[in-house]
Amino acid sequence: MSEKLGKIADGLLHGKIDEVGELTQELINDGMDPEEILQKGLFAGMDVVGKKFRDCEMFIPEVLRSAKAMHAAMEKLRPVLSEESSSKAGTVIMVTVQGDLHDIGKNLAGMMMEGSGFNVIDMGIDRKTEDIVEMVKKEKPQILGLSALLTTTMPKMGEVINALKEAGIRDQVKVIVGGAPVTDDFAQEIGADAYAPNASIGTEKALELVKG
Amino acid sequence: MASDKTNCTVNRSPRFSFLSEDQKQTIFHGMLKVLQDTGANVHHEQAREIFKKHGCKVDGIRVYIPPNLVRQALQSVPLMTTIFDWEGNPRIYIEENRSYFGPGPTLVYFRDPDTMERRKCLRKDATTVARVCDALPNIGFVEGLVTISDVPRGTDDVYEFADMIQNTTTPIMAWSYQRGGARDIHRIGCIMAGGEEAFRKKPNYILYSEPISPLVSDFHAIDKLMYCAEQGIPQDYSPCAIGGGTVPATHAGQLVVALSESMVGVVLSQLINPGTCIILGGVQSILDMRRGIYSYGAPELNVLSGGLTEMARYCGLPMFGTAGCTDTKVMEIQSGIEATLQIHTSMLTGANFVHDCGYTESGKTGDIFQTVMDDEIISMARIIEDGIEVNEETLSVDVINRVGSGGHYLYEDHTMKWFRKHWRPTLMDRQSYEDWVKNGSQTMQDRIIKKTRDILENHEGPISRVPKDVQKDVQKVVDEAVERVEREGLD
Repeated sequence: MSEKLGKIADGLLHGKIDEVGELTQELINDGMDPEEILQKGLFAGMDVVGKKFRDCEMFIPEVLRSAKAMHAAMEKLRPVLSEESSSKAGTVIMVTVQGDLHDIGKNLAGMMMEGSGFNVIDMGIDRKTEDIVEMVKKEKPQILGLSALLTTTMPKMGEVINALKEAGIRDQVKVIVGGAPVTDDFAQEIGADAYAPNASIGTEKALELVKG
Repeated sequence: MASDKTNCTVNRSPRFSFLSEDQKQTIFHGMLKVLQDTGANVHHEQAREIFKKHGCKVDGIRVYIPPNLVRQALQSVPLMTTIFDWEGNPRIYIEENRSYFGPGPTLVYFRDPDTMERRKCLRKDATTVARVCDALPNIGFVEGLVTISDVPRGTDDVYEFADMIQNTTTPIMAWSYQRGGARDIHRIGCIMAGGEEAFRKKPNYILYSEPISPLVSDFHAIDKLMYCAEQGIPQDYSPCAIGGGTVPATHAGQLVVALSESMVGVVLSQLINPGTCIILGGVQSILDMRRGIYSYGAPELNVLSGGLTEMARYCGLPMFGTAGCTDTKVMEIQSGIEATLQIHTSMLTGANFVHDCGYTESGKTGDIFQTVMDDEIISMARIIEDGIEVNEETLSVDVINRVGSGGHYLYEDHTMKWFRKHWRPTLMDRQSYEDWVKNGSQTMQDRIIKKTRDILENHEGPISRVPKDVQKDVQKVVDEAVERVEREGLD
């Protein structure tokens, strides 16, 4: 069975989405402890992915495929895992605020967070403040990632934070903001918990924030 | 004297191309297929109705454009348009084989010319950019490099234009958030030209809008495009396509998507007002798959911009290219290397408007020092583009015969006449070591800073020539823009 764990780690590294999903299911069927599959197969593989990315041996599209393979494995594993383990890092909601149709940065950040073990809910683009607040109430994420590319739509990120306050749930979720015109100053000004200048830093900040 | 040569080919400039005629046709057909079969999302009901009325299939927000409509649009785009300064002098001829260089729009940070600090953009920075560009002989059009942060939010487009147009006679490539801002900018353009009729005869600015890759035109971009078409304002509709991110990672695929995105605007502009001036192009570069940034220094930017320039010419449209920019954070060797390759390639391929001179930090920080360096690079590239003139006089057989073997050419009238055509540096160092030490051992950076600060100290620009009542009228438009945004907000 441990041979299959190695194959899972290797499959993650090479972005073999179907194979990683199938192997995970086989190990579950074989009766292996789901926690062991997670730790010794999936996380072991993703740790190598992270290291190779930092060392410039892997690149974003490869990392994203690994993340997708991780996601395929988690689909199988989540039903049999304990509540605590099923989402190692937590849940993230990613969304581009109202009036803005840009989403390449948000998509990138979402995919990288998924690869780091977050359960990512992508609300898409041009979403109204009240819809975002409703989704936060419903899904109770640890992290809310807000994105905007336009100077004119940036204030909507502040509006979302205020609406979270009004709904009495601001302290239940950490807010990360990003997008080309967004600055650290702006993030502080609107009361965000963190500013993400790019997708990898966004992912690092998300991990820091959930650790507390 | 007429030449007695017959049936002779003369190169006016070096000849350079990425794409053969057949390759261009293949890419053009790729674009036609995408517009017909994939279509593009147009987030503007009125625009979709116009497309529908002219035979496009419309499904929800998706518009599918048939090839014949594209061909029809390409037949009505103007062959040439002239842009004037606000004093009425012709400055830019938008036609084949003429290249003008300038800065780019709306960066988040600006390098303070006094403290060298990277900081938020201030209102005064737009004036700095306008005044410095006004003094730079190789800068042909101006953009602000800034997103001004110290005026009411959403009015900075109008503030920027109002300040810049009074501080330079170099025509401006303007931008606005929405139709309201575009209208105010147009009012200012008309006031500066001396009325609406005067502007129609002598347009003094171009408005820039941007579709979103892949294949999306958002409401405000299309709404501004429609406004410009209705008013006959020369305009630019060009995306920032991110190779491997928002468009295919292959160059040919990127050209197909980028062309298609602009073509949506080209077709609509010609349906609204056949013959109105529209420019395509944009930033064409790749997503750096390690850092996740949109690279403004990648060599691929040169290939893609050059390729798109050739495609624009194939379509009979002017090209908005990119050069003079860098991924570096401060002035250094890398910024010089990247800018030089870009400017040289742009010059060889002949994009009409080449923007982003002064873009640093991968499109985040505006740096007027970079623009000043670019000005020198542009002048060098122009010398290369001037090529080799071959005729009786330049062949110099007479003077060669006179000087003979040995001796020199320094006394010759021929030399007196022609040496002045040699390029003369304003920043590049050619001193002897001894002179260089005596003059303070200045590096390129030192010389760029000195030249920039000299301009800011000594070049006032045309502001004192703007009549007082005109200044007042422009200010009135700015005040009303503030009221408009307070009243209507920005959605």
